[in-house]
Amino acid sequence: MSKIVIEAAAVSKKYTLGTIGTGSFRQDIKRWLSNSMGKRNDAFFYSDKAPGNKFLALQDISFQIKQGETWGIVGSNGAGKSTLLKIISRIIQPTTGHVRGRGTIGSLLEVGTGFHPELSGRENIYISGYLLGMKKAQVLQKFDEIIAFSGLEKFIDTPVKRYSSGMYVRLAFSVAAHLDADILIMDEVLAVGDIEFQKKCLDKMQQVANDSQRTILFVSHNMQAVNHLCRQAMWLQQGKMMAIGDTGQIVDKYVGSLQKNVLSLQWQDATEAPGNEYVRLLSLQLVPQLPATTAVIDIRTPLTVKFTIRNEQEDVLLNAGLHLFNYAGECIFDVASQPIRCKAGLVQGECHIPGHFLNDGAYYFSLIIVQDTSIPLYYYEGALHFEVADYRENTTWFGKWKGAVRPQFPFRFEPSIQLTDH
Amino acid sequence: MPLTAGTNEPWDWEISNRNSWRNWSFKELWAYRHLLFRFVKRDFLINYQQTLLGPLWVVLQPVLTLIVYVLVFGKWMGVNTGSSPPVLFFLCGILLWGLFSDLFTGTAFIFTYYSALYNKVYFPRLIIPFSVAGTHLLRFLIQVVLLVVVLVYYALYRNFHFTLNVWILVLPLAILLTALFALALGLIFCILTARYRDLSNIVHLGIRLFMFVTPVIYPVSLVPSGIRWFVNVNPLSALFEVFRYALLGQGLFTMGQLLYSTVFIITIFFIALAWFNKQAIRLIDVA
Repeated sequence: MSKIVIEAAAVSKKYTLGTIGTGSFRQDIKRWLSNSMGKRNDAFFYSDKAPGNKFLALQDISFQIKQGETWGIVGSNGAGKSTLLKIISRIIQPTTGHVRGRGTIGSLLEVGTGFHPELSGRENIYISGYLLGMKKAQVLQKFDEIIAFSGLEKFIDTPVKRYSSGMYVRLAFSVAAHLDADILIMDEVLAVGDIEFQKKCLDKMQQVANDSQRTILFVSHNMQAVNHLCRQAMWLQQGKMMAIGDTGQIVDKYVGSLQKNVLSLQWQDATEAPGNEYVRLLSLQLVPQLPATTAVIDIRTPLTVKFTIRNEQEDVLLNAGLHLFNYAGECIFDVASQPIRCKAGLVQGECHIPGHFLNDGAYYFSLIIVQDTSIPLYYYEGALHFEVADYRENTTWFGKWKGAVRPQFPFRFEPSIQLTDH
Repeated sequence: MPLTAGTNEPWDWEISNRNSWRNWSFKELWAYRHLLFRFVKRDFLINYQQTLLGPLWVVLQPVLTLIVYVLVFGKWMGVNTGSSPPVLFFLCGILLWGLFSDLFTGTAFIFTYYSALYNKVYFPRLIIPFSVAGTHLLRFLIQVVLLVVVLVYYALYRNFHFTLNVWILVLPLAILLTALFALALGLIFCILTARYRDLSNIVHLGIRLFMFVTPVIYPVSLVPSGIRWFVNVNPLSALFEVFRYALLGQGLFTMGQLLYSTVFIITIFFIALAWFNKQAIRLIDVA
C-alpha cells in the first residue's frame, strides 16, 4: 500500500462579500468599537454578517491522495478548483478543516510566475526556479536542460520583454517542467502555448505521471487531457464535492451534467401537437445506444431518431427528411426517406446514424414532411438538441479535431517499398 | 524509497486556519536565501538598466541633495553644524536618513505591489521585504564609500581633524538599528496600506514630517533644552548622533538613550514580524 501524501479533512473556505477590510478604515474602527461595546444586535454595524454576504468557495471537502497517483480536478468555472489548489499550495488558509501531507509541493498556478520583463531569460530562470521552490543545486544542475527544453538557446541573454508570447510561455513552462517536487499541482497550464509545445508539455507530464514516486494534481477544462493523464478524478461544483473516483466515470458524470439535452418530445393532445391541416407531429425522439445509463453521448455512440406523425389526408405520397445542424447553423446532412403511399392515420419513421460519424459538438435536428417528393407540408425546426462528447484513443493529440463530421473510412497506410542499404 | 510506510508516519506539513506562530521557521527563510539574493540582484538590474548614468545614481542622488542642503541650510539659513564642516555634517545625515526613508517607503507598499505574486506561489512572505531591505543596505554601503572619500579629502586638504574613536565600532550597530526600525515600520505599514488604501498618503507625508524630528539637518545640541525631550523620544535621534560622533567626533547622546533606542527598535521589530506573519496569509484573500 502506498502512503498517503495529501489528506484533506472537511476543508471549507468562506469568503465574505462586501467591503470588509478593503479600504475602509472607518468601517473597521466602527466594527471594532461595536464589537468591544457589545452591540451585537446593531443591524447597521453588522450588516455584513447577513447570510447573503457569505460565500462558500469550498464546502466540506475531504479526500486522500496516495503517492504516485495522478488526479484530475474537473468542474465548471467558479466550482472552487483554484481555491482548493491554493489551499494545498499554502497560499491561502482554509476557514475550517485542514490539509496534511508528506513531501515537498511544487505548484504551478500560473505560467511564468515571478517573471520580470526587464530581466534576461537566464536571470528569470533563476528567480522562477527559486520561487517555485527549487534548491540552488537543482537549478544549476538542470539549467542547461531547461534551456534546451525551451529551445531558446540563442535568446537566453535577451530581456524577456523582447520575447514573443510563445517564447515567453515556452521558457516559463520549461522551468516548471523541471520541478523536482514530490507533489506537483497544476492549474490549467495546458491552456497556453502553441500546439507543438503543448504536445511537448503533455509528454513531459506523462513522464512525471508515470513516475511512481511523484504525485500530480491537475486542473483542466480539457477533458481529453484529464482522461489521458489522470487515473483518478474529483468533480467539484459550487464548492461541493460532487463525485470522486476513476477518471472515466467522473468525466462522464461531469460532461453529462453539462449536456442540456432535449432528447424526447411528445404531444398527448392532438390540438397542441405542432403541425397543420395536412400533418401533425406526435412524437420525436433521439435514442442513443449507450453502454451504460450513466454514459454520455460521444463520437462513438450510434444514434436513432424516431418519430410519429399523423397524416390527415387520404391517400397521399409522403416522405420525411431529417436535417442535422450544428450550433453554427450549418447543415451537416439532409437525409430523406423513401416516399410511400399513406392513408389517413399514424405514420412512423426511424433513422439510424452510426457511431464514429459525427464530430464532437452540439447539434439539433429538424424534421420535414414532403408530399409528392416536392411539396413541403410541414417543417419542424430545432427539434432535438444534443451534444456529442469527444473521445480519443491511441493519440496524444488533444487539440480540436477538425471537420464537420469524423467518419472512420477504410484507410490503408502501410510501407510499400523498403529502403535498404546495400 | 520504500512505498510501504505505515500510516503512523508523521505528516510533513499541515495547513489549517490555526495561527501561525510555528509557521515562520527561520529554517525555511534560510532555505529560500538564494531567492532573496536574486531579488536583490534583480532590483539593482532593473533600476539601472537602460539609464544614462547607471549605478552612478546611487551616489549622485545624495551628492545632489548634499549640494542643496549645504546651500539652503548651511549657507543661507546658517544652521550651526558645530565643529564639523557643513558638507560632512549634512552628508552623514543625508546618507543615514536616506537609508531609513528609502527602506521604509520601499517596504511600506510591498503587499499591494506583490499581491499578484503572493497570490500565485507560496514562498516565505518575508523574503520580499527582506530583499528590499538588502537592496537598500547595499546601496547604503556604496554610499558609505562616497562618505569615506569625502572624509579623507577633508582630512587631507581641508584641515579637518579626524580622530579615530572607539565609537566607530558601534557604527555598524547604529546603521543596522536604523535599517531595522525602517523595516519594522515598513512591515506594519505594508499590511495597513494593503488594507486601507488611503493610508498611502500618510506614509509619504509622515516620512517627510518625521525627518524634522530627527537630527538630520540639525544637531541635537541645537535643539532648545525645553523641547529636546521631543527629539529624544524618537529612537532614531541617538542613532544619528552616534553615527556622527563616530565619524566626525561630534554628537550628543547618553548610554541610556542608546539603550532605549536599541530595546525600542528590537521590540517593535519582533512585534512587526509577528504581525506581518499573522496578517500576510489572511490578506491574500483581500488584496
